[in-house]
Amino acid sequence: MVRFLVRSVVSTIITILLVSIGLFVLIEVGSGDISVKILGVFSTPEQRASYRAQLGLNAPTWQRYLDWLVGNDWRAKSRMTYPLITLKNPKTKEVEWWADVDGQATRWKMDKGELKRLVRKEDGFSKVMPAESDWIKGEGTEEFFWGVDNRNNAVKFVKGSGEEVWVLTKAGLRKQGDGPREYIPLRKGLIRGDAGLSWQYNRPVSMILKPRVRNTLVLAGVAFVVVMPLALFFGILAGINEGKLLDRIISITSLGATSTPEFVTGIFLILIFGIWLKVLPAVTMFTSSNAIFENPMMLALPVMTLTAVELGYVARMTRASMVEVMDSAYIRTAIVKGMPYWRVVFRHAIRNALMAPITIIMLHVNWLIGGVVVVEVIFGYPGLGKFIFDSAIFGDFSAIEAAAMVTVLIAIITRLIGDLAYTLLNPRVRYA
Amino acid sequence: MAEPTRRKSEDIPVLDIENLAVAYKVRGGEVEAIQNVTLDIKKGESHGIVGESGCGKSTCAWSIINFLGANGYVKRGTIKFQGKNLVGKKGEELRRLRGDQIAMVYQDPMQSLNHSMVLGEQLKEVLTVHQGMSNKAAEKDCIRMLEKVQMPDAANVMRRFPHQISGGQQQRVVIAMALLNNPALLLMDEPTTALDVTVEAAVLDLIADLRKEFNTAIMYITHDLGVVARVSTRVGVMYAGEMVERATVEELFKSPQHPYTQGLMRCVPKLGTDRSSSILYPIPGRVPPPGGRPAGCVFWPRCDYVRKRCREERPKLRSIAGTETWVRCHFSEDIDMGSWEPPEDLVLPGTVQKKEVDETILEVKGLKKYYRVRGNSLKDVFGMGEKQYVKAVEHASFKVPRGKTLGIVGESGCGKSTLVKTIIGLERATDGEARFLGFDITNSISARDRKLIQELQMVFQNPDSTMNPSYTVGQQIARPLKRFNVMPKEKITDEVLRLLRSMRLDEKYYDRLPRQLSGGEKQRVGIARALASHPDLVLCDEPVSALDVSVQAAIINLLLEIQEEFGTTLIFISHDLSVTRFFSEYVCVMYLGQIMELGPAEEIYAPPYHPYTEALLSAVPIPDPTAKQKRVRLQGVVPSAIAPPSGCRLNTRCPRREMLPDPDICLTDPPWREVHPGHHIYCHIPLDELRKIDPVVSIKEVNHAG
Amino acid sequence: MNAEAAANEENKSEKRTKPSLWKTISIIFESRVATIGMVMVAFWVIVGCISLVWTPYDPNSSDFIQNLSPNATNWLGTDHMGRDLLSRLMQGTQVILLKTRLPGGEHSIPGGVAIWGVLGSLFLGVILGLNAGYRRGWTDQIIMQVLDALIAFPQIVLYLVVIAALGQGDMVVILAITITGAPGVARLARSLALDIQTRDYIRAAETRAESAWFIMFREILPNARGPLLVDSMLRVGYAIFMIGTLGFLGIGLPPPDPDWGSMVNEARKYIFVNQLPVIWPALAISTLVIGLNLFADGLREELMRYQK
Repeated sequence: MVRFLVRSVVSTIITILLVSIGLFVLIEVGSGDISVKILGVFSTPEQRASYRAQLGLNAPTWQRYLDWLVGNDWRAKSRMTYPLITLKNPKTKEVEWWADVDGQATRWKMDKGELKRLVRKEDGFSKVMPAESDWIKGEGTEEFFWGVDNRNNAVKFVKGSGEEVWVLTKAGLRKQGDGPREYIPLRKGLIRGDAGLSWQYNRPVSMILKPRVRNTLVLAGVAFVVVMPLALFFGILAGINEGKLLDRIISITSLGATSTPEFVTGIFLILIFGIWLKVLPAVTMFTSSNAIFENPMMLALPVMTLTAVELGYVARMTRASMVEVMDSAYIRTAIVKGMPYWRVVFRHAIRNALMAPITIIMLHVNWLIGGVVVVEVIFGYPGLGKFIFDSAIFGDFSAIEAAAMVTVLIAIITRLIGDLAYTLLNPRVRYA
Repeated sequence: MAEPTRRKSEDIPVLDIENLAVAYKVRGGEVEAIQNVTLDIKKGESHGIVGESGCGKSTCAWSIINFLGANGYVKRGTIKFQGKNLVGKKGEELRRLRGDQIAMVYQDPMQSLNHSMVLGEQLKEVLTVHQGMSNKAAEKDCIRMLEKVQMPDAANVMRRFPHQISGGQQQRVVIAMALLNNPALLLMDEPTTALDVTVEAAVLDLIADLRKEFNTAIMYITHDLGVVARVSTRVGVMYAGEMVERATVEELFKSPQHPYTQGLMRCVPKLGTDRSSSILYPIPGRVPPPGGRPAGCVFWPRCDYVRKRCREERPKLRSIAGTETWVRCHFSEDIDMGSWEPPEDLVLPGTVQKKEVDETILEVKGLKKYYRVRGNSLKDVFGMGEKQYVKAVEHASFKVPRGKTLGIVGESGCGKSTLVKTIIGLERATDGEARFLGFDITNSISARDRKLIQELQMVFQNPDSTMNPSYTVGQQIARPLKRFNVMPKEKITDEVLRLLRSMRLDEKYYDRLPRQLSGGEKQRVGIARALASHPDLVLCDEPVSALDVSVQAAIINLLLEIQEEFGTTLIFISHDLSVTRFFSEYVCVMYLGQIMELGPAEEIYAPPYHPYTEALLSAVPIPDPTAKQKRVRLQGVVPSAIAPPSGCRLNTRCPRREMLPDPDICLTDPPWREVHPGHHIYCHIPLDELRKIDPVVSIKEVNHAG
Repeated sequence: MNAEAAANEENKSEKRTKPSLWKTISIIFESRVATIGMVMVAFWVIVGCISLVWTPYDPNSSDFIQNLSPNATNWLGTDHMGRDLLSRLMQGTQVILLKTRLPGGEHSIPGGVAIWGVLGSLFLGVILGLNAGYRRGWTDQIIMQVLDALIAFPQIVLYLVVIAALGQGDMVVILAITITGAPGVARLARSLALDIQTRDYIRAAETRAESAWFIMFREILPNARGPLLVDSMLRVGYAIFMIGTLGFLGIGLPPPDPDWGSMVNEARKYIFVNQLPVIWPALAISTLVIGLNLFADGLREELMRYQK
């Protein structure tokens, strides 16, 4: 069993790594030049090049993948004179990068060829101080300095030769002089909880993602709790009545339910309960990301939609498994031993019959997540699914990478749990 | 008042079946699986039911407890259990009978135990449900019963899962479970068929002992005439859904009355007789399926004595005057088994003396095959644990002369299949030498020359998987011809048809798919495919063990015939010592990866024996109730091949170990003792001591074959 | 015993007759479930074929009054833009089952997006699965690890990622169906290969030293085709489902040809006024998927019976 457990965990880790590589390559390479998407097709090649440099896109793909996954502050640190620190912006709660100069949080800029320190004050503003003494002698006559700029990049300034750079501001692209020569856009990396900046919201992805993941987990969790007992019940019921009328009814209904797309079910549930019966809110406006906690009734329709689709699938799996078990030799033994029917079903059959569905159900969680995306879009539910959808439409790569990783993580972890559950239920594996 | 009623219940047979017919509803009608079955079993009696597959033996047992599935039902007749009719009983009444009054043991113990429940739970519920016994009391009774079925460490077994004990032990648990409520009737459906011969012998001993102790009526179903001769007092022979003959076991084997029974007797090899006289005579044709039974006597299409009346009128089961025998044949009094003559078109092999060619075709020296296995501790997972190996074959050495047959016998796990796979190249030898036609063959098959591959072919065990279901017979036999460029393309079809004919299959088989063939026919095609490239050596991996006896005889004869015709050398693996005896000139006995004894067949089957050979021979069920067979049993279970006992691998179970003054010597490698040139025994016990041991089997020479 | 009976029947048949194609097809009609399923599928295929040459009206022109109920001219009514629903519904079959539009041009190839997608995943999955199942060992480990990674993606998320990266188009949808379907097919093919490779006829092929590719594709694959066929049918169902969902999300098959999902998407804004434009395509998707499911279920049962 130890072998099995270790294998599962190792394989899960490898899977996650493979997924992250695949995802990164697909998005970053498959999508072509991002700067065109952000700056628009009317931007000049010069503007794009400058912008690409600022995003650190000139680094090789493997380098960017590593930066994305594990962060690049350690890379910047080795070049900088002063140690890097992170501080939380008191207003936005966003993480900012600073350098620690003698206990004072400091950033730098070039102004008319001169290096200036921006020292952070208590109120969040910073005061400008000269920093000509920070220059370091490089090879030949060149003097340079690695510092932090006010856009959370580690940058290399070179004395006397400020670059002309195009900076994207709220008002559009602006040309600035005195720019740095090299950029490392600082990030902690995905595994340390930093998923980069969302272009759509211009905020860190991880901050937007957190409440959304929570909302989705609530939705999926409630649906799961509703679906599983019902589905297992109906599945077992149909399984032990194989071929009878009850089985036919359950089987046909569940086939019909699984074969109706979520979006159709959702629309009709709105129509029935919201418009015709008026028992549930037809148009649910999720005013804030916490709305579901204020009015749990808002969950009713999304959960019902998910239930309708999932119920049939799991019930069908359970039925098939139950039928197979009821046909097996050891059930025959139990019957021939003269065990009462219900004892045969409950003591002998169910445990074995549930083994197959449990692994399948756990594998099926990513199907559930797929359903969640659609349901969230229909109902405008502020969850992970809708976020992925919006990001995909917008082309917000950092956001979609992070969100997809989260869904994959959820799927993989439930699968791992399924494996473990199977191991625990099945003595043949447990004592192997 | 009590006295007469008790007396009465003594007289009433426990089970009394009369004119039973069971039918199954199928698409477009129904088929009668069994018809006109009549039998009765008295208290303390063991009634054997024997017949080939598809004869309705199991249906007969299932109908007693009314477990015929959704589409089966009793169409005619009565089943009386202790005087009360069981037909039509259902629900609660039936449930109370099952497992309490009538218990059942069937073939595959691994499948019939619930793999996610501990054995104790499965045993105890029989008592708690039927007798309302408390859990504690039930536990005690169960342990006592497990001890009665000679289960070692009974209390501990209660807490184990089925997969944690061996197959033989599982069957003991199932038997214990059946006996817990001291049933009046015990139905046993091939309970030892899936077991190894030595394990089978021990279980059969157990059943015999238990029958004496519990005085239970037993209905014992088997296809094996040897087993039936050992366990039963009376026997019923079933053929095509009918009971064709019933007699006491002695009568049945001494003077079988029905032509089918006689045919069966002629086609099983008997251990102990010498080879030349034990020719097997297959029964022509095959068992008709339930839907396609002939009118009149069910056996007439295969019967040698068929007359007009047989085709028209179905015989009744009638008593033979002056005996306890009942037979379903019009003319059984007219038939004399002694004067039976084999049909003229039957070619009898093995009668001609083979030419002595002194050429060694295959020589194996010190061959080893180890498999790497992974341990389960955390250390092993990270590759830091000790490397473990299954020592499947250890130091195998032998020679095979051209044109002869070497039989390799041993129980499952003895390494016989691995040895053969290594020779043919499906596995790479770990160490040692192997030369075939002078070429080294310790490498794997992909490294061999195509000419060499062509000379070494194989026949497989399972008729259902030996042929690819997607291709026709013709395509499959033609494939090796194409692959090895044996002949120009345009001649291939003719060659395939020629091969088919030599397998006694006519050309209409050319376009058949495997599912349209019977087991025996598939096996013939398998042999044709192996022979297509004209190999010098053919390895046969239990080619007949999955076949019915009547078919088995035909295939064995065919192989012998081919050997004579082509001069092919054969290596024949089998777990069946009787068949091997009949088939081979040389025999090699293996146990747990080691060769224990090697020599000419007639010497292997006579003293001096290796102790393991002796135990094997004493375990073989002999289809002759008068045969005297010593009872030598191996103790304990087969040790793991990962950590086999050191020295002689049999030392943990050897029945003759105490013959040595110092039994510890068995922990060292034994010497190869030479009995005669070519006959070697791998044992510490001196030959003189081994020679003192009596022969295991002694049979009064009654030769049915005439 | 039934098989034996059947075999015996066949023994009586004429000598040297090849098993006919008709016999294979007739298996379908032995099962009521499969027959019903096939009729449902065939209905939509025929409707699609008719729409290739004839629809009652131009599916894309607003010729009628908006939101009409079913009537003599517009059998299924009209939508919010006054387009004939029957014509649109009929043409919606095409992109799914009958034609794939090549990128850039006006050309299209026969076989719908769902069909090509499933064929793609079948091709990829079978190659990977057979290799994993027959060769085992490291090959198996590596292939399965990669497939595990692919399977970990919730399908729709994978679609979204692919579409975010590559944009919309028939080919992108086919690619997405291929990628999402391949792991499932591969797992099935692998488990079948693992089972089949234990059979003696594979050993027989190995003792002839046949190449691994010969064994995989000539010895194993023909015996795995039944379950693979059944699975593919279910997969076509899933694919149709997915295309519908993508269409509904507005990121599926590009216009102008209508597909059922996008019909629902357009019509849902007017659902308070007129439910029919949602109901018809929804029914179409459901019946087609149910039909495929029934067909597959029935076929599977018959194949199992047939093999026994």
